[in-house]
Amino acid sequence: MYNIELEELEPDKVWDLIVLGGGPTAIGCAIYAARFALDVLIIGKTFGGLIATTHIVENYPAITSISGQGLMDMFRDHMDSLNIPYISDEIRNIEKENHHFILHSYFQKFKAASIVIATGSERKKLGIPGEGEFAGRGVSYCATCDGPFYKDKLVCVIGGSDSAAKEALFLAQNCKKVFIIYRGDEIRAEPINKKRVHDNERIEIIYKTNVIEIKGDHTVKSIMFENAKELEIDGVFIEIGSIPASDIAKHIGLNTNQNGEIIINRKSETNIPGIFAAGDVADSPFKQAITGVAEGVIAAYSAFDYLKTYTIEY
Amino acid sequence: MNYISSDDRYREIIKREMSKLKRSVKIKVFTSKSISSNQTKIQECMDCGLFMNLIRIYEENSNGFLTIEEMYIDENPQFSKDYDITRVPTVLFIDEEGRELIRYLAAPQGGEVQPFVQALFAFAGAGNYYEATIKQNLDRISPSTIKVMITNSCPYCPQVVAIANLFAIAASGKIRTVIIDIIANPDIGKFYDAAGVPYTVINERPAISGMVGPNEILRALIGGKIRVQY
Repeated sequence: MYNIELEELEPDKVWDLIVLGGGPTAIGCAIYAARFALDVLIIGKTFGGLIATTHIVENYPAITSISGQGLMDMFRDHMDSLNIPYISDEIRNIEKENHHFILHSYFQKFKAASIVIATGSERKKLGIPGEGEFAGRGVSYCATCDGPFYKDKLVCVIGGSDSAAKEALFLAQNCKKVFIIYRGDEIRAEPINKKRVHDNERIEIIYKTNVIEIKGDHTVKSIMFENAKELEIDGVFIEIGSIPASDIAKHIGLNTNQNGEIIINRKSETNIPGIFAAGDVADSPFKQAITGVAEGVIAAYSAFDYLKTYTIEY
Repeated sequence: MNYISSDDRYREIIKREMSKLKRSVKIKVFTSKSISSNQTKIQECMDCGLFMNLIRIYEENSNGFLTIEEMYIDENPQFSKDYDITRVPTVLFIDEEGRELIRYLAAPQGGEVQPFVQALFAFAGAGNYYEATIKQNLDRISPSTIKVMITNSCPYCPQVVAIANLFAIAASGKIRTVIIDIIANPDIGKFYDAAGVPYTVINERPAISGMVGPNEILRALIGGKIRVQY
């Protein structure tokens, strides 16, 4: 993890498996691949994935309660114990050459006999005026990262999902007041988190409301609602879901659905033999860390199975 | 500020990783024992004693390959002028030609252990993943400073720090990285209006907020497309 030997990155080396991604799906996949004795490399833009920004995870079996970062630290320890190398980079193109794939980044070229795409998803943006302008200056997509800046301040969380509820609960620990702003008439959090939100005196839910603009000078000062009302606020946390990080998949001709998710079967196979997909980037209906890990493990096994019939041509 | 504890998992990671260091490397740490009495404008942003305890863990587990040179600015105020020290503690990575490559206004603890270890190894001459592409594009990069603003609770910050540090080490003095904990240095965060991390400022241009990858940083340094030849 820390000091990959550059000799391992010798350009002509054909890795048994390259896993793209840095979240639990990718790491789970690589752990199984290593245990199948595959020569595996992980290339990810963001180690930890989105779950690393979750302040509390209470639905990962066998771990009653842990921070997202803490969970990913455990994944990292497991990965390190198997000497699985990880590179912080992004693949921009994949080509097929003979029986293997060539993966291009801006910094290296890699060869792999098989690939698992586990690039996860990215935060969805609101797309309203002020959102981009004040990013990092009052607009945030990560309460764990940026919550400490808002001690005793007024903040809002835009969204009505379980993640939005958890962000609000986290922020309410230190903020003066947290508004949840949701366009629906009932937040969609898990019942346990919904109750916690309703029981928390520092949290107020504003239903059936859309934010149309974020205003400020150097930093955020207020938000505008579609009914022309304005709410003074110091921080805006946007939690309106995510979109699959499937650009590379589309670029190389993998089949995707209308949501941009890679279409896979129960073996995590895509329409291109030798390329598998798993986790949030795939078309699975229920997206959780645990289901992503399970899919990643299936993808590792399918790659292992695929490689039984694979021969390198010299 | 919380410093590493004796049972901290990161202490074990430092021990494990630093024991792999096989080449000599030296960094400077500027500290003060009595910052208020020397009549300078230098700020104490973190407790120097606790900071040194943390830094010594790296040194003690390096089999003698890492040397920490502690520079007391009380005893020699000229240091602050010579090395442009405006706050303590400050860590500097200075190359053999006297060029400052990396400046830390942050404690390498928690998630920041990883990029600090990576920087030490690369600074000692170990392989640097980004070096070939940086070298290929060096003529298109003007002398640059990358300021990465972080907090200790940010899961993505260590990844941006790692990239920026490795870029600086690969760039033969053309890129300088400054790592700033903006909880410990709130005035710097306020100066840049930073209320989110990671918050990356390249050559004082508008900040890049959030996670940023190596290709995006390199593109920002070049101001155009990246030239790649494998």
